[in-house]
Amino acid sequence: MSRDRLTPIERFAAYSRGEALDRLPCVPIVGNTAARVLGVKVSEFRGNGRLIADAQIAAYRRFGYDVIRIFTDLYTQAEAMGARVHYPEDETAYLAEPAISAAEQIASLRPANPCKDGNLPHHLEAMERAFQAVGKEVPVTGALTGPFTTASFLIGTENLARLTLKNPAAVHQLCEAAYQGALLYAGAILDTGCTPSLTDAMCSTTVISPKQFKEFGQPYLKRLVEFIHRRGRSVTLHICGKTAPIWDAMADTGADCLSIDNAADLQAAKSKVGQRVRLMGNVPPSEVMLQGTVAGVRESVRRCVRKAHDNPKGFIVASGCSLPVETPFSNIDAMLDAVREIGWPVDGDALERELPS
Amino acid sequence: MSNQTESLFVALSDSVVGMDEDLTRQLSIQAVDQGIDALSAIEHGLVEGMNRAGKLFETEEYFIPELLLCSDAMYAGLEILRPHLKHEENEVRRKVVIGVVEGDTHDIGKNLVKIMLEASGFEIVDLGRDIPPQRFVDEAIEVQASVIALSTLMTTTMDGMADVIQLLQKANLRDRFKVIVGGGPISQSFADRIGADGYASGAPAAVKLVKHLVGEAAR
Repeated sequence: MSRDRLTPIERFAAYSRGEALDRLPCVPIVGNTAARVLGVKVSEFRGNGRLIADAQIAAYRRFGYDVIRIFTDLYTQAEAMGARVHYPEDETAYLAEPAISAAEQIASLRPANPCKDGNLPHHLEAMERAFQAVGKEVPVTGALTGPFTTASFLIGTENLARLTLKNPAAVHQLCEAAYQGALLYAGAILDTGCTPSLTDAMCSTTVISPKQFKEFGQPYLKRLVEFIHRRGRSVTLHICGKTAPIWDAMADTGADCLSIDNAADLQAAKSKVGQRVRLMGNVPPSEVMLQGTVAGVRESVRRCVRKAHDNPKGFIVASGCSLPVETPFSNIDAMLDAVREIGWPVDGDALERELPS
Repeated sequence: MSNQTESLFVALSDSVVGMDEDLTRQLSIQAVDQGIDALSAIEHGLVEGMNRAGKLFETEEYFIPELLLCSDAMYAGLEILRPHLKHEENEVRRKVVIGVVEGDTHDIGKNLVKIMLEASGFEIVDLGRDIPPQRFVDEAIEVQASVIALSTLMTTTMDGMADVIQLLQKANLRDRFKVIVGGGPISQSFADRIGADGYASGAPAAVKLVKHLVGEAAR
């Protein structure tokens, strides 16, 4: 990739040492869009680790971004513990039915075996293949769904929401089961050479209160982060939707980087936790990346960079969440090009003059 | 209104806000036993409580779990009070057909909108989730709805919203229904582009939007 002087791994290393870069790191979070790069159907990813790896590698080579994330949907771990997932022919999978319907059934759940259950072995194969192929030049991560979110897929979101108030002990029992599954999977991801990348969508304050996050989300995330740290890797934590009231608590998990959804403000995140964590975000995936124009993408990138380029612990230009499958390639290119155009060092004053707050 | 009646309404409202299903049920039975007008008990008690809960949700003092338990309490009370409504009070409510479009099963957002619209007096026909476009149209015709409300959390299903509007246009029925859209990836500009009548960012906003669109109260 002659477009950029540094490989992603060189870029991150230089960034961490405070050295000069060619440009800021940039991560359009490509999931099933990778199918479009190879011209295959999304459903072909099911049970096909080789194809997931090939598509993700092809997408990385096509766009030249800075992290590969092996990801198809958030349900992989819940599915391996008994949830039923529906796979449309050419769209992202969705939850058809939770594994259980009542608190009394929680005791019947067993942590999934990553080598055997559901699609976990295929995802691990994809991680291993991608890491072997390009792991020396680009960080390859494996998506790891947080325990509270997996719990919501295991018992149903509304069920879980009610139980947080009516039967907190049952919620802990369920989160513990999901955590045990996540822990085994995290270990298996690390064994492939990849780094787990944590997503805990349901922990958003769009769904639960900050108090509930601290009770049901954070403790389990913290244990996972500690486990990954013991294996010598740094961790990114993504929570969808609104998160401003829990940024401190998210940083308290020990995560090294927080991925901020476009429903939250990067500048405010920087003031609140920028001394403690790297930030990534938050170009809107739907309104700007899927439906917007090349010019709109450029403007959105410049806005993000203006807000967070001077984050004390560093900043990665990223989409606010995983990109929709049909995101136009031209918009993903535009995102990278906008970051290349800004270049290094970032001229914050110029961005400030150009885009009044 | 007697002081006693008024304090019962306050107690009903408080028990909804307090997420106390059993107490709401007891107080509703008490209202019936005391011969209190069912419509007033619903409006000044249960609905008042649900509206307070909605405000607490807007100001982020309540979150989805709290709002769900408040609605459980409200529905428990409605179950007791509704059979005591006078016939005409029950019949003239405007109808909203609501559902999650085909290809998605995230329905919490849809359910919150349903709860808050119901609390505002609309009659809700909830089709559920993963609903093909044609079914929204068929049901809206069937029940003579005023509004069709479409929800999704996934970008892959947004086209299904446009399909509903196109189906209505093809059948020359576009003017008969107001179509509103909402959900994580939806924006006002998307609503404008597909020709929807409105977009709401959350449940309380959806109530305001529907009231604005139908140009009058639910009853």
